[in-house]
Amino acid sequence: MSYALTEEQQLIQQNAREFATEYVEPAAAEIDHTAAHPADIVKKMIEQDFLGIFLPGEFGGAEAGYLSYTLIIEELSRASGAVAAVLLNHASLAAYSINRWGSAEQKQAYLPSLCQGEKLGAFALNEPGAALGAGEHRVTAVKDGDSYVLSGRKCYVANGGAAGLYIVFAQTDPEAGAKGISAFLVDAKTDGLSVARLIDKMGLRGCQSAELVFDQVKVPAANLLGAEGAGLAIAAEALAAASIAEGAMVVGIAQAAMEDAVKYGKQRIQFRRPIATFPAIQSMLAEMAANIHMLRLAVYDAASLLENGQAFVAEAAMIKLFAARIGQSALIDVIQIEGGYGYSQEMVASRLYRDVKGAVIKNSSLDFPEKIIAGNLLA
Amino acid sequence: MVDMSLTPEQQKVQQIAREFTAKYIIPVDREWDEKGEFHEFILEEVKKAGLNCMAVPEEYGGPGYPSVTQSLVAEEWGYGCAAFATTLGGNGLSSYPLAIAGTDEQKKMYYGRLVNGGMGGFALTEPGAGSDAGACSTIAKLDGEEWVINGTKCFATTCGYADIMVVFASTDPSKGVKGLSAFIVEKEREGLIVGAVEHKMGIRSSNTVELILKNVRVPRAHLLGKEGEGMKLAMKTLDMARPIVASIAVGVGQRALDEAVKFAKEYLDVNGKPLGSHQAIAFKLADMATQVEAARQLVRNALRLKDAGVPYTKEAAMAKTFATDAAMRVTADAVEIMGQYGYSKDSIVEKLMRDAKVTQIYEGTNQVQRIVISGILLNS
Repeated sequence: MSYALTEEQQLIQQNAREFATEYVEPAAAEIDHTAAHPADIVKKMIEQDFLGIFLPGEFGGAEAGYLSYTLIIEELSRASGAVAAVLLNHASLAAYSINRWGSAEQKQAYLPSLCQGEKLGAFALNEPGAALGAGEHRVTAVKDGDSYVLSGRKCYVANGGAAGLYIVFAQTDPEAGAKGISAFLVDAKTDGLSVARLIDKMGLRGCQSAELVFDQVKVPAANLLGAEGAGLAIAAEALAAASIAEGAMVVGIAQAAMEDAVKYGKQRIQFRRPIATFPAIQSMLAEMAANIHMLRLAVYDAASLLENGQAFVAEAAMIKLFAARIGQSALIDVIQIEGGYGYSQEMVASRLYRDVKGAVIKNSSLDFPEKIIAGNLLA
Repeated sequence: MVDMSLTPEQQKVQQIAREFTAKYIIPVDREWDEKGEFHEFILEEVKKAGLNCMAVPEEYGGPGYPSVTQSLVAEEWGYGCAAFATTLGGNGLSSYPLAIAGTDEQKKMYYGRLVNGGMGGFALTEPGAGSDAGACSTIAKLDGEEWVINGTKCFATTCGYADIMVVFASTDPSKGVKGLSAFIVEKEREGLIVGAVEHKMGIRSSNTVELILKNVRVPRAHLLGKEGEGMKLAMKTLDMARPIVASIAVGVGQRALDEAVKFAKEYLDVNGKPLGSHQAIAFKLADMATQVEAARQLVRNALRLKDAGVPYTKEAAMAKTFATDAAMRVTADAVEIMGQYGYSKDSIVEKLMRDAKVTQIYEGTNQVQRIVISGILLNS
């Protein structure tokens, strides 16, 4: 990798790789099996300052930049997609949004606890049965004096049940449809907020997914993030920032899978020679190596744009579009190379296959990457 | 919907299989996947419905369905649960070697078990012999009037509870591929041990086991065909089985498509419009449907050639490759369209995506199929 990572970034990358090898990799299969929130590993990530890695120093962050953060995500993903997803939802979605749109008071009130890991962050966007604001369980926020009262349901909330702070998207103006959605900072301990159930899923199983119930949850008006009606714009940019990190996740997962397939291909003898010597196997490996390389460069580039304050949303959408395709195709091929062995639940490839599909998920119609990219071209 | 290109008899069987799937499989597909096993009573129901040994000819007490009819049933089962379809498909797979090379006595013995509701198994693969079936290290030696078989098979489908099975072993290791032979082995033979059960990412309720043979003795007459003809027999068997695997894949793809269409109609976007009103989604659904239908017709074409008695090896390999690749793409697309819901176990499509992957691997990887297809293209 000749992309000009600074010395500091290389050190962060090296440290993250050692951390992942020492602490995450040995626990990865068990995390997948139990699907339990990896609290012990989160504790260790706090000690490493991973939770506030790109956040400003004045709030307790490491101020190391978004590119350094994506390097960490990539390294964690090589060991466990679930652990990377826990950090990603906390950092790219929750912490990023507060740092980007929070008032001085909100930042002071929440960022230090997010950086120091007193609170894990989560993004409560999805609703059951329909997109945000469109279904019968939509979360509404009704102004009542100095407070808003939130009611409704959220589902597929990553870090749900484990988080201490939720960014909740709720409809403040039902007449305005999508334009009437606002974002709120909601403490997990607020009365009326409860976890209805944990949702089992195909992969990234240690990154807990929950359905939340809001039963007359009273939130101070001061916890409105940005302006009323700004919710969708906030969600769109935060999702774009997350897409860059999701690209890094795909790079990490696909890289681990490719290395596994190379190892298998060298060892597995069929027709009296290692199967890695067959051109059909080499084509698959070559294709995934090329794709991973290009995605990695795209992630570095978009992360640099973001940390330098430049426009990054279209580039992030390109990552989303490309990462979904190449991650899936790499894992389909890796299991093909490893055959019946790779398909076994006990082998790492089958976990990576399930995980990579969850790394890039389109949130209903909010963020078709094609639409964002084309919109940018046509503007 | 009834497919009018089918004969009335085929339509009838398709309908029976469809109703069976709706009644007995779909309500419990998720539970079977979680537990990694299916309810045994269902085998009784399969027998009652007359679908347990479709490949067994009428003179041996089976229905003797033509290949197209068998594939219709496999597709319906695949629609319900690929693992179940694989298990019941094993009754076909393991009875094809009999149809190809079995003597009347052998057929009576083998088919007799299946007709009574028994399960058939097929053990070809070994730890060191996957795509390279000739690297077989299981050995069969003649001792008087008995074959003595020793070795270990792996990824043996349904062999954990099969009543009777076809096991491949080398009768002359010095000859490699040409030393391979096939034997009928009943489950009660001494020395036949079911080893470790394989825990798989998908088709979890299909039984995949290690099969250990320690001085297993079978009568001399249990050799199928001639000594050294095992590889040829295995290849012909897989020719017959490929369109069935392809049919299972068509069923899996159709299910994923139906689930995605239903979702696209019901799920409202952020503006309150159905997701399917987005062209990006609508066109993807169109592509998925096109792939599933093309796969179905490739399978039917290969089987019509087979039933007409003309060569169909290339077409069977094409159908297997195309249909299973299509199932892989279509199931992955369904998960993508259905987003977080599709990725969660609240929906069935994540299971379909796990199940679809194995269809590209088993009964000849799609790489082996390409060797078969290109071999015919380049050597004729």
